[in-house]
Amino acid sequence: MNITAFIVDLLQSGFGGLGAYLAAHVLLCLLPAFLIAGALAALMPKEAITRYLGRDANKWVSYPASALGGFLLAVCSCTIMPLFASIYKKGAGLGPAITFLFVGPAVNILAISFTGVQIGLDIALARIILSITFGILIGLLMAWFFRKDDQEHAENTANNHLFAGKAKIPTHTVIFFLLLLGALLAGTLQIGILRNVFVSFSLTSPWAVELQALLHRLIPPDPGMGIESITVQGIFLIVLLVLIALAALRGFKDIYNGLNTWTLITLGLMTLTLIFAALAVVVDADGLTIGINGRLVAIIVLSAAIWWMSARYFSPEEQQEWLWETWRFVKQIFPLLLVGVFVASIARTLIPAAWIQTLAGSNTVWANFSAVVFGVFMYFPTLVEVPVAQTFLALGMHRGPLLAYLLADPELSVQSILITNTVIGKKKTAVYVVMVAIFSTLSGLIFGWFIR
Amino acid sequence: MMDIKILGGGCAKCERLEAVTRAVVEELGIDATFTKVKSMPEIMAYDVMTTPALVVDEKVLSSGRIPNQAEIKAWLVGDM
Repeated sequence: MNITAFIVDLLQSGFGGLGAYLAAHVLLCLLPAFLIAGALAALMPKEAITRYLGRDANKWVSYPASALGGFLLAVCSCTIMPLFASIYKKGAGLGPAITFLFVGPAVNILAISFTGVQIGLDIALARIILSITFGILIGLLMAWFFRKDDQEHAENTANNHLFAGKAKIPTHTVIFFLLLLGALLAGTLQIGILRNVFVSFSLTSPWAVELQALLHRLIPPDPGMGIESITVQGIFLIVLLVLIALAALRGFKDIYNGLNTWTLITLGLMTLTLIFAALAVVVDADGLTIGINGRLVAIIVLSAAIWWMSARYFSPEEQQEWLWETWRFVKQIFPLLLVGVFVASIARTLIPAAWIQTLAGSNTVWANFSAVVFGVFMYFPTLVEVPVAQTFLALGMHRGPLLAYLLADPELSVQSILITNTVIGKKKTAVYVVMVAIFSTLSGLIFGWFIR
Repeated sequence: MMDIKILGGGCAKCERLEAVTRAVVEELGIDATFTKVKSMPEIMAYDVMTTPALVVDEKVLSSGRIPNQAEIKAWLVGDM
């Protein structure tokens, strides 16, 4: 093979992956997921959960509350470490603090919805269930191993008022979260009622046929490698995404000075994009067929309800904080994700499938453990573990080791180990790391056995 | 001299809080020193659970959120 053909091949693979991500999957999943993450960071009263994590809290309450807290509060690393340190030093103690630390990175809303759409609902559900179960288990074991230290802890926490808050989550906030979650599910679930087209109309549009043919030539689909081609609908969605990004730069940057026209334009474009992405567009020999499905109806109703609620029930400060947090997540995560997807798609053509199949093609202890070790030493930015996992899947990795990798990668990185070390010390950190490695390996094995 | 501390591990929110506070201090013409407290044990000593937190003259004024300019102004005026 000559070098030019090789490079063209790589680039096609990279851009094919990128295009498929942007156009096909990302929008209906990531757009609502980012809005939810922003809302959790901005609108969720933290005391509503931390009140259950005080020193005197019953074990039956504090461990589940820690797991729930990891899910609801740990969307940002600025929240994780201080909360972890205070639960450990001044609140319910080592066990619940460890549960919180374990659950947070593995089960946040962005990671779960993205995993569900890209890799499959089975892995996403396994990620939730196993993280929570093993999070609580590891917490309990840590508390038992280091039970002697509890005495000192009890003295430290005498007359503490930190966890005395009595906040509750207001009803309108709960409904708002449910609507956002509804939009996420309506956009991503592949069930009949959402997928089935009940009205469709055809347009004779030769340009669409030509455009599709051109896209096929640029990025030839290769189902064997998991490479999809970009559709005509996809190209429109990518253009809309670029427009959103441009409008957001002006509309979200100075949001603390109030909502401006650009903010409204951005929000309008986002809604339009979601609606357009929900349509079922098919290009055939004569032109376009546009189908109206349940998804479209659900998205329109839910977006209307979401915007109406946010305007009616939340103060301007809350609205600003929500959009600011959402924008912050997007800025922090999205550019790295794009690079990650591009590189992971290229790697798909470079790494021989035989390597992955020999190493992790079947559900053995060794395969699961290798996946965990890879996850610990390779540090990928938030969410990039998902396209990496997808590449492994395309190359023939078994779903068991894949889950082990997906649990270990966000959980343990050299960086997070160092920070944990400053809070709980070397000995406890070492025990924690070993346990996470063991339990992630076990999770993969159990899951792999379960789906066999 | 007012002693203003921003507690937090240096994330975007902490920088935002510092910028807002600096703007108020400048507007009121207060003579103040700014310190960023990044180490977790030091942050814990202030009894805060969530960062960023704003501490003025060793008193915790807010934590876990970014107060708006009007709020900060009211605190600082009351403190002068």
